[in-house]
Amino acid sequence: MLVDYELILRARAGDGPAFNQLVAAYRKRILGTIARTIGRPEDVEDVGQEVFLRLYYSLDQLRSAEVFEPWLYRLTANAAYDYLRKRRRRMESRMADLSEQQVLLADAVAGEKIDRDEGQKKRIREAVDALLDRVSEEDRVLLTLKEVEGLSLKELGQIYHVKENALKVRLFRARQRVLKAFTAARKQAVGVSSLP
Amino acid sequence: MDHQNHQVGSDDARLDALFEAYRAACPDLEPGADFMPRLWQKIEARQGMSAVFGRLARNLATAALALSTLLGLAVSFSGSRVTQLPSESYVEVLAEEHNSANLDFEPVRLTTAEQR
Repeated sequence: MLVDYELILRARAGDGPAFNQLVAAYRKRILGTIARTIGRPEDVEDVGQEVFLRLYYSLDQLRSAEVFEPWLYRLTANAAYDYLRKRRRRMESRMADLSEQQVLLADAVAGEKIDRDEGQKKRIREAVDALLDRVSEEDRVLLTLKEVEGLSLKELGQIYHVKENALKVRLFRARQRVLKAFTAARKQAVGVSSLP
Repeated sequence: MDHQNHQVGSDDARLDALFEAYRAACPDLEPGADFMPRLWQKIEARQGMSAVFGRLARNLATAALALSTLLGLAVSFSGSRVTQLPSESYVEVLAEEHNSANLDFEPVRLTTAEQR
């Protein structure tokens, strides 16, 4: 844990500077998680603010120090999920958005054939964003926390309040859907690129 | 079949590598300088909104209490001036008003000639 429980207690009692310290300790990590979950750098700070706003108004519900981090991740997962749902409503993004160039790039990156400059990083983000759009918002958040953030099943169980076996099944299905889309896109891209 | 399994296995590994590359392409972010001021603005705006709703709810409750007190007083005041209600029931009053003596028509009487 990055802070003492005493600091959390002070923030909970309405101490503004203590809340500032709490946010300062976690914001970089939380913003990184949000960035990797939603895939849109321009909206990361807004979603991050929503997380800490929810934290401020729900601190009084916290019962013990051990649950603070899973609980903060839960707030993050919920805010990211809400954002993704709104975004899907605004703009239906489909696999068609994953251009041939993106697929070839993703394929090359997967094969570690290229260096990664800023432009390529951007394209990797776009390619993975389009791939993750193949699953529901709930599964996307879950899959990102597991595969990209590297959280363990135990940690995910604490965040979602769900048994590990149920999580395993859900993760397996979500990954299979993404893998199927990835394989199909690769085949299509390779077929197109081999045309004269 | 073996080829297919190998293909899936290889795609699995490629997907893992892609996720890893994605992780590297999205490092942890340092927020902008206005992150905390904007956050506090939002917190205060929400507090202000809750205060407005709280005030509105209190005013509504006070108005409802005053109105119900007034109505209670009005009912109890007018109750003392209510005229005595008739003791007869509605049906009894109707029956009394519409007995056979008050009918507009006379009973038919046949003359002896007609009887024949």
